[in-house]
Amino acid sequence: MKVSLNWIRQFIDFDLPSTDELVERISSQLGAIEEIVETGKKYEGALIVKVVECVSHENSDHLNVCKVDDGGKAQNVERDENGLVQIVCGAPNVHAGMLAVWLPPGATVPSTADRDPFVLEARPLRGVVSNGMMASPKELAIGEGHEGLLEVDKDVAPGTPFAEAYRMDDCIIDIENKMFTHRPDCFGALGVAREIAGILGQQFTSPDWYKTTPDFPGVEVEELRLEVQNELPELVPRFIAITLRDVAVKPSPVWLQATLARVGQKPINNIVDLTNFYMLVTGQPLHAYDYDKVATGKLGVRNARNGEKLALLNGKTIELNDADIVITDGEKAIGLGGVMGGSETEVSSETKNIILECATFDMYTIRRTSMRHGLFTDAVTRFTKGQSPLQNLAVLAKIVDDMRKLAGGKVAGHVVDVNHVSAETLERGSAYAPVQVTTEFINARLGLQLSADEMAQLLKNVEFDVSQNGDELTVKAPFWRTDIEIPEDVVEEVGRLYGYDHLPLELPQRDITPAPKDELIEAKAEIRKRLAKAGANEVLTYSFVHGNLLDKVGQDKAQAYRLDNALSPDLQYFRPSLLPGLLDKVHANLKAGYGEFALFELGKIHDKDFKLDEEGLPAEDEVTTLVIATDDRHAPEGAPFYAAREYLEALFGQQLEYEPFEAERQAYQAANVWQLGRAARINLHDDFVGTIGEFRPSIIKALKLPKFCAGFEIETQAYINALAYRQYMPLPRFPKVTQDITLKVDAGKTYGEVLAALDRAIGENAIGQTQTRLEPLDIFQPAEDASHKNFTFRLRIASYERTLTDAEVAKLLDQAAAELQQKLGAERV
Amino acid sequence: MSYQNQQIADVATLLKNRFGELENKADILKAVELRALYGQLPTLPQEQRSEFGQAINALKAELERLVAEHEEAAEALPPIDITAPFDVNVPADKRPALLPSENGTVHPLSRELETVLDIFYRMGFTAVESRELDDDWHMFSSLNFPEGHPARDDYDTFMTKETDKNGNRLIAPAHTSTMQNRVLQKYKGNLENGKPIAVLLPGRVFRNEDLDARHEHTFHQFEGVYVDKGIHAGNLLATFKTFLSEYYQQDIEIKSQPFYFPFTEPSFELALSCPFCHKKGCNICSHTGWIELLGMGMIHPNVLKMAGIDSNEFTGFAWGCGLERLVMMKYGIEDIRHFHSANLNFLRQFA
Repeated sequence: MKVSLNWIRQFIDFDLPSTDELVERISSQLGAIEEIVETGKKYEGALIVKVVECVSHENSDHLNVCKVDDGGKAQNVERDENGLVQIVCGAPNVHAGMLAVWLPPGATVPSTADRDPFVLEARPLRGVVSNGMMASPKELAIGEGHEGLLEVDKDVAPGTPFAEAYRMDDCIIDIENKMFTHRPDCFGALGVAREIAGILGQQFTSPDWYKTTPDFPGVEVEELRLEVQNELPELVPRFIAITLRDVAVKPSPVWLQATLARVGQKPINNIVDLTNFYMLVTGQPLHAYDYDKVATGKLGVRNARNGEKLALLNGKTIELNDADIVITDGEKAIGLGGVMGGSETEVSSETKNIILECATFDMYTIRRTSMRHGLFTDAVTRFTKGQSPLQNLAVLAKIVDDMRKLAGGKVAGHVVDVNHVSAETLERGSAYAPVQVTTEFINARLGLQLSADEMAQLLKNVEFDVSQNGDELTVKAPFWRTDIEIPEDVVEEVGRLYGYDHLPLELPQRDITPAPKDELIEAKAEIRKRLAKAGANEVLTYSFVHGNLLDKVGQDKAQAYRLDNALSPDLQYFRPSLLPGLLDKVHANLKAGYGEFALFELGKIHDKDFKLDEEGLPAEDEVTTLVIATDDRHAPEGAPFYAAREYLEALFGQQLEYEPFEAERQAYQAANVWQLGRAARINLHDDFVGTIGEFRPSIIKALKLPKFCAGFEIETQAYINALAYRQYMPLPRFPKVTQDITLKVDAGKTYGEVLAALDRAIGENAIGQTQTRLEPLDIFQPAEDASHKNFTFRLRIASYERTLTDAEVAKLLDQAAAELQQKLGAERV
Repeated sequence: MSYQNQQIADVATLLKNRFGELENKADILKAVELRALYGQLPTLPQEQRSEFGQAINALKAELERLVAEHEEAAEALPPIDITAPFDVNVPADKRPALLPSENGTVHPLSRELETVLDIFYRMGFTAVESRELDDDWHMFSSLNFPEGHPARDDYDTFMTKETDKNGNRLIAPAHTSTMQNRVLQKYKGNLENGKPIAVLLPGRVFRNEDLDARHEHTFHQFEGVYVDKGIHAGNLLATFKTFLSEYYQQDIEIKSQPFYFPFTEPSFELALSCPFCHKKGCNICSHTGWIELLGMGMIHPNVLKMAGIDSNEFTGFAWGCGLERLVMMKYGIEDIRHFHSANLNFLRQFA
């Protein structure tokens, strides 16, 4: 929202503080400022001059040589004996006696000031010296007109600076629109002026025309019939219109063009400019139709029909949607209500009779229409904030008054006011019932000690109606405010007007009860530390994956929640496992020159197989996933499975159990990536922990993974559960004995079976209370005998009761070996 | 797989039998019979074409699957003993080992979040992670967004095809505020016991935006919620100022600007004095000495009411702060996309 300080000054009766101070106050009490532009700079040196003499240039068929009177103001310029300055001018409208704008040597052409400034000088044009130039509206950056000079339409003395005459010595403050999301009134200069007065602690008084119920002039000429039919009372609560006859469409007076130009609005013609002007004053968009192009003399309001077409003012034709609001001529659409007018009924230089519309549209409907068609107009900006339907009459009356003065229009009908605002609201003259609130309520929420009088004054400054009863305030918001409904809204108003920078910076008081820690967050932090310590790198990948990636790893898209509206084609499904995302990042890191690495991620997964939680929402499963990858050069010997297992044990120690992985899908989509025979289901005391394994050959190929690559995905909760199993064993006082045992078994027997049997046998034959540890030393399969395997274990054993002898331990191992011989056919070697 | 069309069913049987005998299994995809079926397609009456075409495609897909399964089986490595701690015949010094500790890293966002969590924990806040798949009620209704509010449209928020029990599409939350109602409900017992609700809500949030160096569709926030008797806006500003001063290990000044959120009243946007140049002006603060950081406000009474908390008796505040911004400013990270790149060149700098 661009705010002209000169414009603000017209509504206030006190002096504004310095721009720096004002900017500080605005940003702390009104909203963030995007930009501050001093418009006067552009016009430095530009003077209004009187063309005293104008004769044809002897070497040209279109140039004139002029002598101008600048009141002697310009310095360092060549003058004739009468003090006049010579300028060569090619504009067709230049003539003696006119007032024009002169850019003397040294001045910059304002339209070029922002980029690539063009500085004028005194130089000959076809042999005659021209001291600078006289400027067109376009060169002065106040319009598009380039056919002739800007004709000064105001009686000012030659030599008056142009900026001063038309208040271009202005400062434009651009306040972020989003600060005014709930403040439709602040989309007009009047509203911002009021707000500035409020934050400066000054009383503001709106102009009479805005605050009093207006009288429209009676019908002055032959009537132009107008009928309005509103089929959408909910979405268009107020629709008022009036007809004017015999308007003269022409360029606006310079002051109006200049005012619009300062806040970035392009002047078009007096009719359109006035509608824009009052929109910029009050925040209320207005629209003018060429009456004679609305053949029926009717305006209708209805929803568009699907597929209905409408040619807009911007030259584009759009296909409408049945949720759009259109203005019709009783039959066909002639305007997109609240968004943009139609080209068919546009006001043009031939227009004689007009309809002025001042309506209120539903903010959400306008926003959707705007987004749907990509139309972001000034009207949209305002209607989407929810303009009050209580200001329409005042605004229309004021613009009619100005139209009569500036365009010579005559009122050609009574105001048509199709009013669906509730009688209660109209009666009250305020969007909501007055709010009752106590000073204590307000002070408690702001941490302040303001008196009822102080609060009332702050509110009255911005024209609230406040009645006091001791510490009780009854606050009635003025008709333009749509945001004051509950006591907290008054708190905001008082706090902001008083200044939030005055709030006491006090920390909340609480007792010293410790804040409980969150188990999951703590566990995740610990997992990160452990895996990072084990040389792995934590990564974050997106929560969404492409269907192709799921296809590549064999995960079922139908089981994944699917995004419906992502802008990016890469984001299709909520990830049902973290594995695809991690695998997708392996190749790039190998290519970047990392020969061996482990990537891990902690995150949430979603799968339609998971049951709904107690809120009825898809359960979110928190998993920890790791992938190791090593290029051929760095790969250790054996299967990569065991490398992934090392990382798993970095988290869990050696308490996990591994079960061969079955072909059917288990618990997770994750399981679909594993190669059968080289993957395992992980359990901890019969609870499911997760799965671990090597990847199927097709995945290795599709994602360009190295041969030495494996991973796991586990329930993060399993890590928390495992903590419960950590326990301390007292240390035996007696020395330990270490002995090895090698068992030769059938190649079909697993390490797990042998270890379990051996552990049991040692336990059963133990010599009193002992502490034992069995460590794997070696697994060996002789090349010449594929049907057997040798497992070598090291037993470390110590008694809690006495010193064990080597012979006792040797005997123990002999007994255990005998039992394994019997149970597994193991042979001790 | 059975085929309705007899002709296609016959070809399917024929080709599947032949598949068993083929030396090069992929050749089955080049079978003349299959090509003949495709050739037949244009000769069929218009109304039969679509169904016939789909059936041939299904047959082709089935054959491709057979070939892929065969290839997969052919390339599969022999099974291993998954119960063993290491592979057979691999000497101890050739077995896989963990990588050196100095290679290991925690993600900079995780690390920073742990720092933030620690500060708020010391200030008395417990923490709960936010959800990544949520519903319309928590995203909008519980936060005082009226029905029909444009934020409920899907322009900025990711939504799923699947719906919740009310028939609304599920949502990838655009802010951690979706958790407010949950923690207010969960901890409202505190209030009855004369203790505050003080919770930090870290989590991943999403905006349906195109990516560039400054915009991500996936990022992280930490939401703070504090409710008790007599909590006022000055408490909010002081709490965040205290956090910032501890986080930056220096006295930080703050500036608040009025703002608007449906779920807080009043609402603020907070700027902090630049901790990198001490307000002298630098690139990080765009030479203004101030950095706009986050939105916050006093929790709207409707939000408290929806969680069953009496808004006349208790008041509270909430904020939502982006995590990426803090980390990018701290390290001078130039491109927000690095965070989700899993690029070791990036990650290993945070050892």
